[in-house]
Amino acid sequence: MKKADRIFALIGLGLSCWLILESRKFDYMTTYTPGPGFHPLWLGICLALLSLALLVDTFRRKGGTVDEGNRLPGEKSLFRVGLILLFTAGFALSMTTLGFVPTVLVFVFLILYVLEHYPLFKSILYSCIMSGTIFLIFRYWLNVDLPKGWLGL
Amino acid sequence: MHGFALVLTPYNLWMAVVGCFFGTIVGILPGLGPSATIAMLLPFTFGMSATPAMIMLCALYYGAKYGGSTTSILINVPGENASVVTTFDGYQMALQGRAGSALGISAIGSFFGGILGTFGLIFIAVPLAEFSLKFGPAEYFSLIIMGMLTIVFVGGQSIIKSLMSAVLGLSVGVVGTDVVQGAPRFVYGIPELMDGVSFVVMVMGVFGIGEVLVSAEKRVRMGSIKVPFSKLMPSLSDLVQSKWAMLRGSVIGFIIGVLPGAGSTIASFISYGVEKSCSKHPELFGKGAIEGVAGPETANNASCSGEMVPLLSLGIPGSGSTAVMLGALMLYGLRPGPMLFTTNPDFVWTLIASLFVGNIILLIMNLPMVPLFAYTLRLSYSILYPAILLVCIIGVYSVNNSVFDVWTMLIFGVAGYFMKKYDIPGAPMVIGLVLGPILEQSLYRALSLGHGDITVFVTRPISAVLLGIAAVMTVAVLFKQVKMMRKEIREESP
Repeated sequence: MKKADRIFALIGLGLSCWLILESRKFDYMTTYTPGPGFHPLWLGICLALLSLALLVDTFRRKGGTVDEGNRLPGEKSLFRVGLILLFTAGFALSMTTLGFVPTVLVFVFLILYVLEHYPLFKSILYSCIMSGTIFLIFRYWLNVDLPKGWLGL
Repeated sequence: MHGFALVLTPYNLWMAVVGCFFGTIVGILPGLGPSATIAMLLPFTFGMSATPAMIMLCALYYGAKYGGSTTSILINVPGENASVVTTFDGYQMALQGRAGSALGISAIGSFFGGILGTFGLIFIAVPLAEFSLKFGPAEYFSLIIMGMLTIVFVGGQSIIKSLMSAVLGLSVGVVGTDVVQGAPRFVYGIPELMDGVSFVVMVMGVFGIGEVLVSAEKRVRMGSIKVPFSKLMPSLSDLVQSKWAMLRGSVIGFIIGVLPGAGSTIASFISYGVEKSCSKHPELFGKGAIEGVAGPETANNASCSGEMVPLLSLGIPGSGSTAVMLGALMLYGLRPGPMLFTTNPDFVWTLIASLFVGNIILLIMNLPMVPLFAYTLRLSYSILYPAILLVCIIGVYSVNNSVFDVWTMLIFGVAGYFMKKYDIPGAPMVIGLVLGPILEQSLYRALSLGHGDITVFVTRPISAVLLGIAAVMTVAVLFKQVKMMRKEIREESP
């Protein structure tokens, strides 16, 4: 976990610097009370101290733990996660333009057919069932105003 | 009694049944914890009023705890963390053809723990809420500091990483219009950020999307159920053998549940240890001892009631699941804490009554229907996770009809994935986001009332005691860490 902790500590340090710098744009104190810059400044300082402590700890620790290798996602895992995120991002991008139902259909089909290697017919069938069920639940049971696209669906 | 009358209305009862049903199913499915389940099903409650919505969420929570033991016993895979310990003896019992007894005693123990825990909740939450009526902003500030430190110190994971997670949550909480001057902070001209980052967005991202990504990164094949369901009721001798384990489990679970951060996983492990040390036949533990199932499962459910004590009476969540519930309560316009008992007594007592009713429903549901629930394990995760992703996306979108929220959720989802992979706990971050604005407001109001005098936090007795406890805990933890470091250095030097 040393490598991961070191990256996390560096991210924390970066964020703390950003918090401290940004907090200086606001008043630190008003007459009696803390100003808008007080809270972020102290949070930034705390985060910086904690990140430094974690960073120092990674250099102090002996070797990596046994399970470090198992925890690092392999290429295949990262590819799967990346594809899921890509499809989800695509869904978020197109749901307001294409409309809810067609986007769900395509999204589920892509996951089942491309990622999970389901047969074509099963992928289409499951996509239709899932998009229909989710549409009925959210639109008619929960009265959620789902995005309508060019097709009005 | 009025609470019972309200919870027994058809709609509220239906919500309890729905919550119990879905909670049990999700509890059975490995990969989704109770926090993620509550977060995921939160959008289903948006159209409801606070009472049925919270009844459903609490039922979900209990249901997930009941369901978690099923896979531990049947296929040696815990449905959630607190059920890990159930695999030790539960699976051994199943291999010996006693799966029915193990599942039955687990359901009865969970029921016993849930009911006794709810009685404990009534006896402790009310006086605690009455006492906390004396709290002003200074006391709230100190309470939140103490509560958050307890969650981090007792949580059992890396203290530095837990603290960083909490500070990151607090930092996300500063985004939006500030409470002092109404100035927009960290908004960068994005109108969607003016109201801050919604806790729903973070919870869905970290717990929902994050957990899905971790579970979906490999093709998951569920183990097949090989054990027969000969009978589902434990024998009378099983019950007699387990009675003290259930009683001890209830007490241990409830007390540990009340402590912020300790949670049901620690409760179940402690209960197992206690049962083993109390047993006349400790050598049977790990080989199918029924007390090894009864004690931890009872403690697991009793801790849920314990966790409701600080949530309802102080407004401080002790775990990720109760943090989601706190956020949900705020969404419905309620502020948990001492005033909740006086301003919304109907809500509080209906909710508490629903815990009794929920446990009864779960017992009825779990005893005869376990084989049916177990069949959900045949559902492939590859079918489930697109549905979970969709529910998360639509749920977040439906809060403000905003695609921006969906993108923010995806960012938290990626963060949640890496946090889970590298043992950075997500619960302190969510708790930080939920409590951050209250902490800042309490600090501002306390100093405002004290004309800027910072000693207000130590001159007021309750606040001083709370800060004192926090200081003692911090010193104790630091002392332990330094001792460990010295030991390591001594071992390294020749």
